[in-house]
Amino acid sequence: MTGWDEPMSGHREAGPAPGDVDLDRVWLGVAAQVWRRRPGPAERAAGRLLRSPGLARALVTTPSLLLGWVIATVVILLAGAGIALGTGTPWVALLAPAVAAAGIAYAYGPGIDPAWELSQSMAVSDRMVLLVRALAVFGLNAVLGLAASAASGAAAAVTFGWLVPMTAVCALALATATVTKSPNVGVAAGSAGWVIALLSGKAADGQFTAAITDASFVLPYLALAVCCAAVVLFVTRIPRGTR
Amino acid sequence: MNVELTDLNRKFGHTRAVAGVSLEAGPGVFGLLGPNGAGKTSLLRMMATVLPPTSGKLRLLERDPGSYGPRREIRRRLGYLPQNLGYYPGFTVADFVEYFALLKDMPPGQVPRAVAAAIEHVGLGDRARSKLRTLSGGMLRRAGIAQAIVNEPELLLLDEPTAGLDPEQRVSFRALLRDFGQRSTVIVSTHLVEDVAAACTEVMLMDAGRVVFHGTPGELIARGEGHGVGDAPLERGYSAVLAAARS
Amino acid sequence: MDDDALIAAVARRDDTALRELFSRHAPWLAARLRGVLPAAEVEDVLQETFLAVWRGAAGYRPEGVAGGWIWGIARRQAALWLRRRGPAELLLPALIAADGQHPGDPAEAAVSRVELARAVGALGPEGGPARETWRLMYVEDKSVAEVAELMGVSAGTVKSRAHRARRLMRAALRQHDPVSEGGGR
Repeated sequence: MTGWDEPMSGHREAGPAPGDVDLDRVWLGVAAQVWRRRPGPAERAAGRLLRSPGLARALVTTPSLLLGWVIATVVILLAGAGIALGTGTPWVALLAPAVAAAGIAYAYGPGIDPAWELSQSMAVSDRMVLLVRALAVFGLNAVLGLAASAASGAAAAVTFGWLVPMTAVCALALATATVTKSPNVGVAAGSAGWVIALLSGKAADGQFTAAITDASFVLPYLALAVCCAAVVLFVTRIPRGTR
Repeated sequence: MNVELTDLNRKFGHTRAVAGVSLEAGPGVFGLLGPNGAGKTSLLRMMATVLPPTSGKLRLLERDPGSYGPRREIRRRLGYLPQNLGYYPGFTVADFVEYFALLKDMPPGQVPRAVAAAIEHVGLGDRARSKLRTLSGGMLRRAGIAQAIVNEPELLLLDEPTAGLDPEQRVSFRALLRDFGQRSTVIVSTHLVEDVAAACTEVMLMDAGRVVFHGTPGELIARGEGHGVGDAPLERGYSAVLAAARS
Repeated sequence: MDDDALIAAVARRDDTALRELFSRHAPWLAARLRGVLPAAEVEDVLQETFLAVWRGAAGYRPEGVAGGWIWGIARRQAALWLRRRGPAELLLPALIAADGQHPGDPAEAAVSRVELARAVGALGPEGGPARETWRLMYVEDKSVAEVAELMGVSAGTVKSRAHRARRLMRAALRQHDPVSEGGGR
C-alpha cells in the first residue's frame, strides 16, 4: 500500500510480524469500525423510504450547513409574510413557492455551498438533494413555527397558512420524485398539490366559489401553476457556467 | 476506452473555452498542461459531467453522459477533485469522505472500510476524526483526494491536486497516481511541469482552448531541445511548443 | 507516550492512541497467534482484539503490564474463535502454551500453567483411565487403535473415555475461563 506514512507494520518494538499476516489490512478493519458514523434511526428510515442512503444523509446534514439554512429560512419566511399580507388574490400565494424554491436553490447553490461543484458530479442527483433540502428547511421551520405559534398569533398564521402546507407539498414532491425516479415530475406534482390546496382553502372561505364555478378563472390558475413549476426547474437547472 | 472525446467544444457567451478537442484514453496517467485560461478546467469539468459540451461527442466509460441513467452510472465510477474544493468546516475528515461516498451511491456496507482505506491512502490516518477547519491547506487537498478515490473510480479527474502539498507529499501523491493508473484512467490537470514528468505516461498541452501538443513526456522534451526557455527539459519543451503555437 | 498513557487516551476515545498501540503491539501479537492459528484467522482475531481494546480501555488498571492485558484480550478472542470452529479443548492448551513465549509477563504465564495443571488434574489421578487416555491420545498423539491396544480395552471404550476426558477438561477450563467471567482480569 502506498502512503504518506510508514506502513503500520513498520514499527519499533520486538520483532517483525509473520510474513503472511497483512497488518495494514487488519488496521483498516479496525479503523473502519472506529471511524464510522452510525446513522440514527431517522436517517436509516429515511434511507429506506427514499431508497438512497446518500439522499438520507443529505437530508440529515442540511441543518448543519448553517449559512445555507439561514438564508433559505429568511427567504421562505419573507415569502410567507407576503402571503399573510396578501389581499386575497391568489397571485402572491401561487408565486410564493417559486420564490421559496429559488431561495433554497440559491442558498445551496454556487457561492454559498462550498462543495457545490463537487456535488454536481455526484451520482445522487443534485436536484433530488435540493428537493430533500427543501423538505428539511420547511420541515424544521414548521416545527419551530409550531413552537412559536403557542406564543404568537402572527406566527400561527404563517405556520399554518404557509410553513405546514409547504412542508406537506415538499413531502409530496419528494415522494413522487422517489417513486417516478424523476425530480422534475416530483416538482410538478408538488406544484399541483399547492394549487389544489390553495383553491380548496379559498373555496372553504367562500371567497372563491365564484372562481371554481366560473371556468374562465381555472385556466389562468393552471397556467400560473405551470409557470411556478417552470421557474423552479429553471432555477435548479445545471450548470451555472463559470470558467 | 474510458474516455472518448471527438471535436469537443465549449463556449461561454462569445468565448471559446474549449475548441475542437479530441482524445482517446484507456488506463494510464494523462497530464493536462497549459497556462491559466487554456481551457484545462473546462475540459475536466466536461469529463466530470458537470458541464455539458456546446458541441462535439463525449463518451465516458463507454456511456453517453447526455442522458440521466448512463450519466448516473458514469458518476458512480467517477472520482473528481475540482480546482476549488470547498469543505464543510464542521465535518471531520471521515464525515467528509463518507458523505461523498454515499452520494456516489456506494453500498452502505462497503462504505466504512472504503473510507478508512482512502483516508490511510492519502496519509491522513491520524487526522481522521479531526474537524476540517483544523486542517492545513495541504491536508484539505489530501482530504479532497481521498473523497475522489474512495469509490475506486475507473475515471479519476484531478484539477491541480498538488496545490499546497510539500515536496515529500508530492512524491507520495505521484506514487498514488501510478498505482491508480494501472487499472483506471487518471487525468491530472496541473501547471506544475515536474508533476507531469514524474507520473504521466501521456501529456496534452493546451493553449487558448486548443490542444497544441499530444504525446509522451519524452516527445515534449524533444520539442524543447535548442528552442525552449526553462530550467528543466520538460519546461523547455513546454515553452517551445507554446511559442510555436502562438506564432 | 508509554503504554499505560496510551490506553488511558484510548479510554478517552483518542483514535490516534489506538493507532500507536496497534503499531507497537500488533506485530508481536500476530507472531504469537500465528503459532496457533492460520494467517487469515490471525488477521480476524487481531482485528477483534483491537476493537475490544477500543471498547474496553476504560477497564484497564495501569499496573505496567499493558502487553499482558492486550495479550489476554487476544487470547480470549482466539479462544472464542476456536470454540466456534472446533475442538477447543485440544487447541486451547496450545494457546496457553503460547503464553510462555512472551518475556514481559511471567505472571500471566504462571497463571496459565496453573490453569492447565488444574484442568488436567480434573481428569483424575495419574494413571487413571480418563487421564491416561487423554495423555496417550492428545499429548502423545496416538490413534484410537494404538491406545486401545496399549490400554488393553476396546476402541469403543477408548472413544467414550476420550469423550469423558474432554467433558471434564472443558468444565475445568470454563471455571477459570476469562470469557465466562465476563470481561477484564
